[in-house]
Amino acid sequence: MSTEGPVVNVHVLFFAKSRELANTPRSKVDVPVEIIASDLLDQLVSRFGLTSIQNSLILAHNESYIENLSDKILLKEGDELAIIPPLSGG
Amino acid sequence: MDHVKLVQVPIDITHIHQLLADEGCGASSVFVGTTRNNFQGKTVVSLAYEAYDNMAVKEMNKICSDLREKWPDLKHIVIYHRLGNVPVCEASVVIAASSPHRSEALESVSFAIDQLKTRVPIWKKEIYEGDNISEWKENKESFRPKKSLSAFNYAACPCKVEESHDVPRSLVQIRVNDAELTKRLECFVNKKRAEINSQNVIDFKSPLVDSDKDFSDSCARTQSTIIKQEQSNCHLKVRRVNNRCGPQQMELRPNYEFELNKLMGSRDGVTDPSKEIRKSLPNSRLQAIELYMGLTTDNEENIFSRIKKVENRMLQLESISPEYRHFTNLEPSSREPPLPKRIKKKSYSAHELSVFIQKIKDGREINE
Repeated sequence: MSTEGPVVNVHVLFFAKSRELANTPRSKVDVPVEIIASDLLDQLVSRFGLTSIQNSLILAHNESYIENLSDKILLKEGDELAIIPPLSGG
Repeated sequence: MDHVKLVQVPIDITHIHQLLADEGCGASSVFVGTTRNNFQGKTVVSLAYEAYDNMAVKEMNKICSDLREKWPDLKHIVIYHRLGNVPVCEASVVIAASSPHRSEALESVSFAIDQLKTRVPIWKKEIYEGDNISEWKENKESFRPKKSLSAFNYAACPCKVEESHDVPRSLVQIRVNDAELTKRLECFVNKKRAEINSQNVIDFKSPLVDSDKDFSDSCARTQSTIIKQEQSNCHLKVRRVNNRCGPQQMELRPNYEFELNKLMGSRDGVTDPSKEIRKSLPNSRLQAIELYMGLTTDNEENIFSRIKKVENRMLQLESISPEYRHFTNLEPSSREPPLPKRIKKKSYSAHELSVFIQKIKDGREINE
């Protein structure tokens, strides 16, 4: 992953369709300490082959939704990111 | 009390009732979501649920606190969700609430299931009978990325910004590459051009065409006459534009076609008079000549062939009777030989004659 400046290693979790496409339930990646959520999502999407469902994905950071993808997020070593496809609970 | 749980085994409804029981509560509402056995004509065998466990429990707890905020009288709240493989007709989710009066219990449970479908990270996959490929379901209520953000992939448009021109990203409204920006600018310019063009068309059209439009504020260019306003004290010399030939004044100008048609003899000024002329001309003059020449012609005949006939007739008459041309000559006097001039003869006296002779004599002497 092309990154400039300091990077941290974080966990990435995949669920449902994204888990099947990524072919793994979890992974670890290096990401910039400071990044716009949409850019982060795009990086993860291209890295794990999720382009087919890209437009329906949202991100969760440390078990909280990133409500606005244009927000800047600050990451720490060992943080947990989750790729959330459309929900179907109930 | 809040009871929130993700379970791998069938949910026991009687256990839920026990959790809800409270002496002060006159109502308990229980919603049980069960798995359907069909989807779009395909038979569903079972559903496989998975969850982002920690976050799901977190979100379910958030729903509980939301409910308590909205309906403070609620006593107990239960949210149980089953995970793993759930055969059809079995409960996948149970949401229950107890309260002193029924409305809180009923309303809160309804609200809670909507919230659960919207934000609790749980997914189900329908497994169908036969060879149908199993599908991940999507709740229509599901939390989704905002359309405006998903519609455009900013990352696909890398925008290199020089350090010296770095602007805080929160202040930048448009993040596109040069090609996209150029395209947008072009579109904008084209749109503006089209707007101006259409406005000009309206300005330069005769107002009679659509008289409902107000032309007082039109900025159409005009050929205007400037007339100095009388008794104006302004040092700027205020003048009034007397617009006589601008596009708005088009209807005030003479209609040349109309006038011309009138001159040409059209009674109403609209019809082209050349047809009438074609009829009236032979009827009056040419017909008179033909009559004089003893020719019989058809009015509908081509005018040139009729003239040709007249000419032939004249040549023929000239050849058989030369004096006839005097009749047809426009200026017979000029053709006639001039009348013989009467020459006035001068008479000389004897003295004059002798002087004349002397002159001749002298001349001869000089010459000799």
